[in-house]
Amino acid sequence: MGETLVGLGAALLAAGILARLGRHIGLPTIPLFMLAGIVFGPHTPGLEFFDDPAELELLATVGLVFLLFYLGLEFSIGDLIGGGRKLVTVGAIYIALNVGAGIILGFALGWGDREAFVIAGAVGISSSAIVTKLLVELRRLANPETRVILGIIVVEDVFLALYLAILSPILGEVSGIGSVVWSIGRAFLFLLVLAVVARKGAALVGRLITTDDDELLTIAFVGLAIIVAGIAEEVRVSAAIGAFMVGLVLAESASRERIERLVLPLRDTFAAIFFFTFGLTIDPGDVWSVAGPIAIAVTMSLVLNAVAGLLTARMYRFSPRAAANIGSTVLARGEFALILAALAASAGVDARVGPFIAGYVLILALGAPILAANARTLARFIPRRWTLPEQST
Amino acid sequence: MSTEIIEQDLPGIGRCFTADLADGAKVMVVIHHTGRRELYVITAGGSPDEPDAVVTLGDDEARRLGSVLSGAYFKPAIVEKVEEVIGGLLIDWATVRESSPAAGHTIADLEIRRRTRMTVAAILRADGSSIIAPEPNETIGVGDRLVMIGRPEDLEGFLRHVIG
Repeated sequence: MGETLVGLGAALLAAGILARLGRHIGLPTIPLFMLAGIVFGPHTPGLEFFDDPAELELLATVGLVFLLFYLGLEFSIGDLIGGGRKLVTVGAIYIALNVGAGIILGFALGWGDREAFVIAGAVGISSSAIVTKLLVELRRLANPETRVILGIIVVEDVFLALYLAILSPILGEVSGIGSVVWSIGRAFLFLLVLAVVARKGAALVGRLITTDDDELLTIAFVGLAIIVAGIAEEVRVSAAIGAFMVGLVLAESASRERIERLVLPLRDTFAAIFFFTFGLTIDPGDVWSVAGPIAIAVTMSLVLNAVAGLLTARMYRFSPRAAANIGSTVLARGEFALILAALAASAGVDARVGPFIAGYVLILALGAPILAANARTLARFIPRRWTLPEQST
Repeated sequence: MSTEIIEQDLPGIGRCFTADLADGAKVMVVIHHTGRRELYVITAGGSPDEPDAVVTLGDDEARRLGSVLSGAYFKPAIVEKVEEVIGGLLIDWATVRESSPAAGHTIADLEIRRRTRMTVAAILRADGSSIIAPEPNETIGVGDRLVMIGRPEDLEGFLRHVIG
């Protein structure tokens, strides 16, 4: 036990120190937590905190539960509707471009159908955590395009929920189309039940867990999130979607704001363990052996995000600078791609998927903030008439 | 002409309030979910790409600054005197809002002393009159400023219970 505790403490400290160093040059934490896992894992020379990632499996899963729980808590259909049809269209175009190209890339790699589906999600969905952090740190909250960027992220979150619901059955069962359809049906049935609970029973659930006492409230919502995640896993719907739905239910309760505040330190700690644990499973040699596919995927995402940025700016008649801001910010990949990689790994997909996503996320999670910070320079390469066609005549 | 303030949601971050001022400048306040506030100032003719100033405030700093801006901030003379007498204790004051749990209730109703371990030392009415050492049956109204005395660690509970 002592050894595991020392390893865990060392892991968090190492991840924290690395992230702190990165912060000085504006790098996000998620890829650095993962990097710490790679460096201090069994596959690299030097210090090694854990020889077996399985020792951290439970804690890492709790991290996944908190990540999805928080996503559900923050989720608001009102945001989506409030943004108007144009925003939904922009978000849908973004997903169609990126996930569509991801599917094509996935099948082109020829690693398998399940693998293609995982790759599509991993390269198609932006990191909400990195994107929102970038907007705050680059002081871009006053910019008109910032609301559009956040709108795209909301649409992506909706997509993510549906995608996760289909993912688990697709990963879990491969024997015949009938059983896949049945298990997708079961996943949606489970979602439907939880959605009805969210709609009708939120007040009741809210009353059940609400107390004046922060300690008791924390224990209640953590327990609820973990048990529903567990049940969801047991009926093979995936813990991720269960935790997400609990977040949705509690978002409707009167305690929402307190829960948001209380869950943050828990989410941050356990999510760091989750990213670190994922890093432990990655052998840099394996990443190197899929360097070709990673380079193709990164290039593809760079091009598609530039296209998406330009299209969005054009639809909203924003400046080239805004186009550069949009394209370089939503480019960030992070927690969702890593969650998918971890879910896929535990379902036993092709072993190249994990290293592929690790390398891809590392490049885009570190690269997007650098590009976003230099969006002004990027904008110089965009002719005004590309985003503001009417004014050029 | 009054300036219109536009309120917008920033999903995942918080809410933002934008005021377009008469001289063409723009001031934006972002209230993060975490309680942190940010103030963006864009002077007339400037672009939001390059705000002239971005200031980050903690919850308490923002409240103080807000009351200065609204003209409500003042340090009652009585407080300075009391402060000298009881050095280590905290003396603070807060204005009762329409949404405050205390509005329209008496000190006894609210069980302030028992539930928050702080004492209301004075009520400064919105009309300028003041009640020093109010009786428990004194009713607290919207706009009243309460001067309270207690231990610093009880302040948060007091503000939650009384001011909301």
